[in-house]
Amino acid sequence: MFSYTFQWKQAFAKLPLMLDGALVTIELALLSMAIGIVLAVVLTGFRLSRIRPLVAIVTTWVEIARNTPALFQIYIAHFGVASFGLHLSPYVSLLIGITFNNAGYLAENFRGALKAIPDTQTRAARSLGMNPIQAFVHVVLPQMLRIAFLPMTNQMVWAILMTSLGVTVGMNFDLYGVTQDLNALTFRTFELFALAAVIFYVMTKIVQIGARLIAARLFRY
Amino acid sequence: MKMLLAATALLATTGLAQADKLDDIIASGTLRCAVVLDFPPMGFRDESNNPQGFDVDYCNDLAAALGVTAEIVETPFPERIPALMSGRVDVGVASTSDTLERAKTVGFSVPYFAFEMAVTANEKSGVTSFDTMKGKVVGAVAGTYEAIALEEQVKAWGEGEFRPYQTQADVFLALSQGQLDATVSTSTVAQANVKSGNYAGVQVVGKAPFDTDYVALFTNREEYGLINFLNLFVNQQVRTGRYEELYGKWVGGEVPNLTVPNAYR
Repeated sequence: MFSYTFQWKQAFAKLPLMLDGALVTIELALLSMAIGIVLAVVLTGFRLSRIRPLVAIVTTWVEIARNTPALFQIYIAHFGVASFGLHLSPYVSLLIGITFNNAGYLAENFRGALKAIPDTQTRAARSLGMNPIQAFVHVVLPQMLRIAFLPMTNQMVWAILMTSLGVTVGMNFDLYGVTQDLNALTFRTFELFALAAVIFYVMTKIVQIGARLIAARLFRY
Repeated sequence: MKMLLAATALLATTGLAQADKLDDIIASGTLRCAVVLDFPPMGFRDESNNPQGFDVDYCNDLAAALGVTAEIVETPFPERIPALMSGRVDVGVASTSDTLERAKTVGFSVPYFAFEMAVTANEKSGVTSFDTMKGKVVGAVAGTYEAIALEEQVKAWGEGEFRPYQTQADVFLALSQGQLDATVSTSTVAQANVKSGNYAGVQVVGKAPFDTDYVALFTNREEYGLINFLNLFVNQQVRTGRYEELYGKWVGGEVPNLTVPNAYR
């Protein structure tokens, strides 16, 4: 049934445009991870504080981020907030959507990591005269980030892949958006998307290998 | 005896291999059309979720001409080619512009419909014509003729922003929310959406000076038998007055000419 002649030359001619798009994808993923990690640390702090309203914020955030599709979160960040008169560009909407998702998942990762750190550590730190915040920042947090490092790489990979959902909110200069634009122009669907898939694969593989090398260097006991 | 069996088997297989798509459709008794159902009045769903519109009727006519039953396969704009190449549909009746770039990949019939382009704007945007769109945030449905032309125009203007959305509904939603200042769409789509009353604060403000957008039926590039049939079918639709009838039913107004003056095709 599948009758199609592949014209790779036509697709390779578009490679520079696609690589420009890949840079935007990487930039989006890195930004969303950086902001996401900070937010997740804050959320984790909220959770540890045991102050009711703060814990409620964390629970709501994590529940929505983990139990609804990322597509929905990005869509809301664009069309949802616009119905309240707030107009965000596709780039910002996509960044907010992915960051929201990242923060939710990372907060859960951090919770798991915290469980692996014995309470006695905090108590020891407190007995050395640190206040609760100092104990968290100087003793618990570094260990937590170390344990959560590899799960964080997973989230980075996921963030790269999630950028492809940006097309639903009008994003057209990330890797997936560029690919779709070129597809509409040329109808070379299979070549272009195969190429995009390879670029996505290479990007995520670099992240994984890079993370493993960093982990091997940083976390030697 | 053995030889005879082998010979018949050989004949049978070569016979099958020579059957082209036109034969396959007739033999299967079903014509599967890719139709975009997010593109009123060409294709949409009515209150009871049934496919309706010009393209739907056109597919039904085509199936009737072939003596088979029609099956409407809902296909969003960007998925037309994968649907065809993976064999999920036989023919695209999907308001597809017959660009040369695309004709390198798929086979087009002669045009079966022609669109004029119109500018629709948000009332608060200050856009009153095509030229006043310069410097504004404009958008259209990704993968359409008008999206390609509009993106080029925004690049040529050197200011403003172009945003492609995935569906016509998203474009008009963004337009009525004020996320987009204006859009270029086919005038039929523009009129239908403004009249629908679903999108507050938008109105058609004028024509867009793009070339007439001729759209054609498409199928696999090498299926000459089928393409030949499609060409004759389009011709017959005009000849019998069915084209005019369908145009009056779904669009109304002056029926666009499907031929280009002073040119062969």
